[in-house]
Amino acid sequence: MKTCPNIIFINTDQHSWDAISAYGNTYLQTPNIDKLHRNGTSFKNTYCTDPVCAAARSSWATGLYTSETGVPFNGGSLHPDIQDIGQILKQGGYRTFHCGKWHVPGRNVRESFETLYYGHNNIGAGGAAYYDSASTHAVMDFLTNYDDKKPFYLQIGYVDPHDVCEYLHNHEEKQIPNPVEQGILSEDDLPPLPDNFNYDDRETVLHRVCRRVDDALIHARILKAVKTWDELHWRYLRWNYYRFIEKVDAEIGTVLSLLQQTDFVDNTLIIFSADHGEACGSHQLFQKFALYEESVRVPFIVSCLGEGIDVKRDRFNNTHFVSGVDILPTVCDYANVDPPDTCQGDTLRPLVEDKEVTWRDYAYIESNYWGRAIVTDQYKYITEYKPKSIEDYLPPGPNDAQLGRAQLFHRNTEPSETENLADVPEYKDIVNACKIKLFAHENRLNRQQIVQPGAQKLISNWRRRLQGYWERGY
Amino acid sequence: MSTHYRIHLHWSFDYNHGAQKPDFANELITLLQGYQTRTQDVEIGQIKHTYRILPNFWRGYSGRNRPGDSLSIGSAVIQRHKKSDKLWCYKVQYKNSTSGENALLQFQCNDECYRTLTGNWKATVTNSGQDIYANIELKGEIKNNEQISLCFNRTEITIGMENDALPLTCNWGLYDVIPAIAESLRTKGSTVDISLLDDLEQLRPKCQIGYLDSIQDPIPLDGYYLYGTGLLPSYWWVDESKNVVIVSTVFETMVLQEYSGSST
Repeated sequence: MKTCPNIIFINTDQHSWDAISAYGNTYLQTPNIDKLHRNGTSFKNTYCTDPVCAAARSSWATGLYTSETGVPFNGGSLHPDIQDIGQILKQGGYRTFHCGKWHVPGRNVRESFETLYYGHNNIGAGGAAYYDSASTHAVMDFLTNYDDKKPFYLQIGYVDPHDVCEYLHNHEEKQIPNPVEQGILSEDDLPPLPDNFNYDDRETVLHRVCRRVDDALIHARILKAVKTWDELHWRYLRWNYYRFIEKVDAEIGTVLSLLQQTDFVDNTLIIFSADHGEACGSHQLFQKFALYEESVRVPFIVSCLGEGIDVKRDRFNNTHFVSGVDILPTVCDYANVDPPDTCQGDTLRPLVEDKEVTWRDYAYIESNYWGRAIVTDQYKYITEYKPKSIEDYLPPGPNDAQLGRAQLFHRNTEPSETENLADVPEYKDIVNACKIKLFAHENRLNRQQIVQPGAQKLISNWRRRLQGYWERGY
Repeated sequence: MSTHYRIHLHWSFDYNHGAQKPDFANELITLLQGYQTRTQDVEIGQIKHTYRILPNFWRGYSGRNRPGDSLSIGSAVIQRHKKSDKLWCYKVQYKNSTSGENALLQFQCNDECYRTLTGNWKATVTNSGQDIYANIELKGEIKNNEQISLCFNRTEITIGMENDALPLTCNWGLYDVIPAIAESLRTKGSTVDISLLDDLEQLRPKCQIGYLDSIQDPIPLDGYYLYGTGLLPSYWWVDESKNVVIVSTVFETMVLQEYSGSST
């Protein structure tokens, strides 16, 4: 019987799908992520389940969508009856290790995994500057000392490029000259503005209240600062974002170089992905929390640096829709462990091995509790549920009467998502078809009431603000 | 009773806002006004600079509910002495209460303005967190005049190739490099390209140093910038005695607490 492979899940934080040099981005150098791609398959149609850390990570850990996990934003609490990937693999005979960022509220990482490194006071959202190199040290220590006969599953949670949030916070209460005024870079050194810097402001109310209005629900102080930015500031944000990615790429490089010097290299599967992306100036947005491509589309590579695992190499898969819920069943498949029956994801192993398999034809994404998106081959449909008149803390589900505004983008003819077609009569049938897909998907979810008091309070506060906008006919 | 300063800080190290309690500016200026009067006994021939690490945000994620204590989340002590064979021997002790890592870095540099790395180096790091990783020891060297090699638990990896065209130094050597080239950068408006070995383990193959600005308050300082591949911009402020007094980057600001000996 073939030995079950070791599995390493390397994840970065806030890493957009196209910020990799092997994918043709010339504004940064990621030789080590490139190495993973050369030795594996990149799934280019990969979407997070929710463009914010805790929510997306709750899906990684459970194979469930965020209205099911109890973590529908950067808060909440993973429902205690849901098994996580550490517990499942442990029962399947694996030793399970965690290193770095976890950020799944409600679940003590030390109870589900043996933890190599988790900071001095537990790692929260950010702090890559301190945690990432320490995580690499911990993994170096592990890879050169592990001598158990059991296979291992190791998840390495790097924090960068999430520290771009710190870069943005830097601007909250002071004016920082653009880099040309600083005299440190010329205009030619900076990446250009994204094609979709200008945007269609016919957005969902949820999105505008969370990210656009002066007293935005999320990071209003940064918003106030970026409203004073000139073009060079935005381009400098992009320049800095790429440096953060290069930084974490170097950390990944040390891990990969070391792995290649160990006996594990042939029998170790490596999965690389990110919890969500970064807007980085697209649609004049920063950070995540939005349902546009830059925030929701993430890298996903399945790779092996040795010869022991059947992985198609140096190959792009542009056709299959992959989601954060697929991590758990994929890992379980390689580990020869059954995933829970409730798992919403599917194993990518047949795709990695180039086998024919029936696969979903869309991606489903949630955001900020009320936001939803369906991505199909041709279209992206973004919508929202209006707040309920009496909040019961059950994440909103398939309910046509509760739907608010919609956005529709043609992915093939207008991939930059700057022209909302939702109200164009010719696209009425497309909107309806997307709505049917949305409701069909949500009918299969086991949405559970949010019970954690802090999360309930946040929902109530946000609901109050949203309702105000709806009542005023915003 | 502590004094609270209301003074304009240069944007490159102004983090007097957000969740920083106690007051960032107060702590920074108190350090700046005191470092020249503080001395330490050191062995003859030793140069020593001690820096406090001030987090730029959220107390460096170290926890905010510690009223009354210092904002500082750690320290760096850079000691070096010149050996008779024209080498500089460096010993850097770095402590960080957020990461939990305490590092001792030892390396040698040639006696020239770029403090190019030579010979072997060693990094010994301990982790004060409660998890499995407790300590590591990394040894490094440049092999065959180009291959930058690290050895750890009898396992050797190559982390990059030395670029012949650029001097290779350690980031902790910059505390002497930048003061040494400062005048030329400032007066000629030129820039210098170097390679950096960050904490003796991560190669930043091409970095640039240049002049940024000069300020008179809170004390007269000349500022320089550094950025490169895999390296966020940092701002280095040098006093009239050629001490690096402030180094600020996205996440932290290092402020000189005391020094002894002279860099030049």
